[in-house]
Amino acid sequence: MRACVLVLVSLAAASTMRAGSAAQEAPAPRDISGFWELNFDGRQVPRANLLPAVTRAKIDARAKGDAYAIRWCNLLGLPFVMDPGRPLDIRQGATAVIIVPENASAPRYLYLNRTAHVSEDIFDPSTNGDSIARWDGDTLVVDTAGFHGERGITTIPGGGFRTEKSRLVERYRLVKDGAILSVTFTWTDPTVFRTPHSYEYRYHRLPATYEPRQWLPCDPYDEERARFLEPPGAARPAGRAISKE
Amino acid sequence: MRSRTVALVVLLLPMASPPHARAQGPPPATRLEGDWVRIDPDGAGSFGGLGASIPPAQLLPGVTAGGARGGGRGGGGRGGRGAAPAAPSTGPNPEGVPYIVVAQPCAGGLGGRSNGALLVNPDSGGVHFVEHKDEVIFAGERGGVRHFYLDRRSHPSPWTPTPAGHSVGRYEDKTLVVETVGMIAGGVPGGGVRTPETRLLERFEVSPDGQRLTITYTWDDPKVYQKPHVYRYYFERSPMMNSGGTPVSYALEEWCDAGDPVEKQSIVPPKQIIKK
Repeated sequence: MRACVLVLVSLAAASTMRAGSAAQEAPAPRDISGFWELNFDGRQVPRANLLPAVTRAKIDARAKGDAYAIRWCNLLGLPFVMDPGRPLDIRQGATAVIIVPENASAPRYLYLNRTAHVSEDIFDPSTNGDSIARWDGDTLVVDTAGFHGERGITTIPGGGFRTEKSRLVERYRLVKDGAILSVTFTWTDPTVFRTPHSYEYRYHRLPATYEPRQWLPCDPYDEERARFLEPPGAARPAGRAISKE
Repeated sequence: MRSRTVALVVLLLPMASPPHARAQGPPPATRLEGDWVRIDPDGAGSFGGLGASIPPAQLLPGVTAGGARGGGRGGGGRGGRGAAPAAPSTGPNPEGVPYIVVAQPCAGGLGGRSNGALLVNPDSGGVHFVEHKDEVIFAGERGGVRHFYLDRRSHPSPWTPTPAGHSVGRYEDKTLVVETVGMIAGGVPGGGVRTPETRLLERFEVSPDGQRLTITYTWDDPKVYQKPHVYRYYFERSPMMNSGGTPVSYALEEWCDAGDPVEKQSIVPPKQIIKK
């Protein structure tokens, strides 16, 4: 009889726990998965403290390089991927977190299954770099290195730009009971920043039923689009060879 | 009596675990998650040969085969990087004039970098899976992403057809089963055809040792096929690379710059030395 009572109590407890977790839809504390949107008021970006070597000419050259990347539908990479103008689909698996933008840029992979970056001997620098991630309490800490210094949009919010020597540390943390995803970005680069450059984005969680939209077209051979991006008389976006410092 | 009670409680405990903890899919050894590359298990030796091994689709009378017999891009080569030249040269190019092999490199079509279409029937580029309880992301190093929703949502209606369609999935034991509809009309490997109404069922099965992936494709459409069109693709885990003594596997980023003239060409004929 006592056994029956215990079993019933256990069943009730189990069912209550299941019902509770389903009803609250509370995200697991160490899971940042979801659809996330950066609203117009979601950016807290101070001005970067740049080295004197970062001249106006260098910044202008980078801006031309960014325009070139847009004109030719290149992969745009970091930091653009984290503010692409559309929601991000973030999914956390057993070995990696993937961040998928809704445009034709490569997704990001944040590897949970290794603690060291891929050796420079074999890693080809890329627009997104090589990201390794670990949980520190309730914060996912992501370290990224291995950036390509020229490709994609290299301009960093607040000032400066990405180079091969850039390093990015991100801290992802759920706030407001999981309704908001706070991401603090800290860039360091001995050739660009006098002090580490930090800024924060706050993304709103979209309903779980959200349907990511298919990418809008980016056709580098669309003449009308090219005329729009390169109006008569405007300086033609520089090629990569020109943008090199 | 007491031990029996304890045993019963222990047996019931798993029911109390949060749903997401039990919905993560199969155990680690047979997880789909990770990096894969398509292989040629029968030694066909070429993309054409791989495509030729796909059984021909049994189309209804009056339905015109959409894809090449070998499957066009889906069944065969790397493709997707851009369109071929409109009028290929019939003779050798003069010295210094490059052979143009891709007229519009990097275009990818379908909204850029294939918009996920390349992953319906992957080519030789690496592919990657990340498994979450609500969604599996299927991504390719050559661009594009497919979303497999596991949260029991329905296919939206109405739905504007897209290159990769709309996919919902579920686990059947260790197999991920994905149903896709709403793709734009086009060809299917093996000479098949698809319309937005055509239903694709994919079964992603990882071998017990976790090293081999088989995708079984079943295309079904009573307005197109006499019987469901079935074929398989085979993959292996991406080879591990030596990173300072540690084996690693990771997603590569394929770069293609449409503004770079070099992307259009493969060979520039060198100066010819003519012996007299």
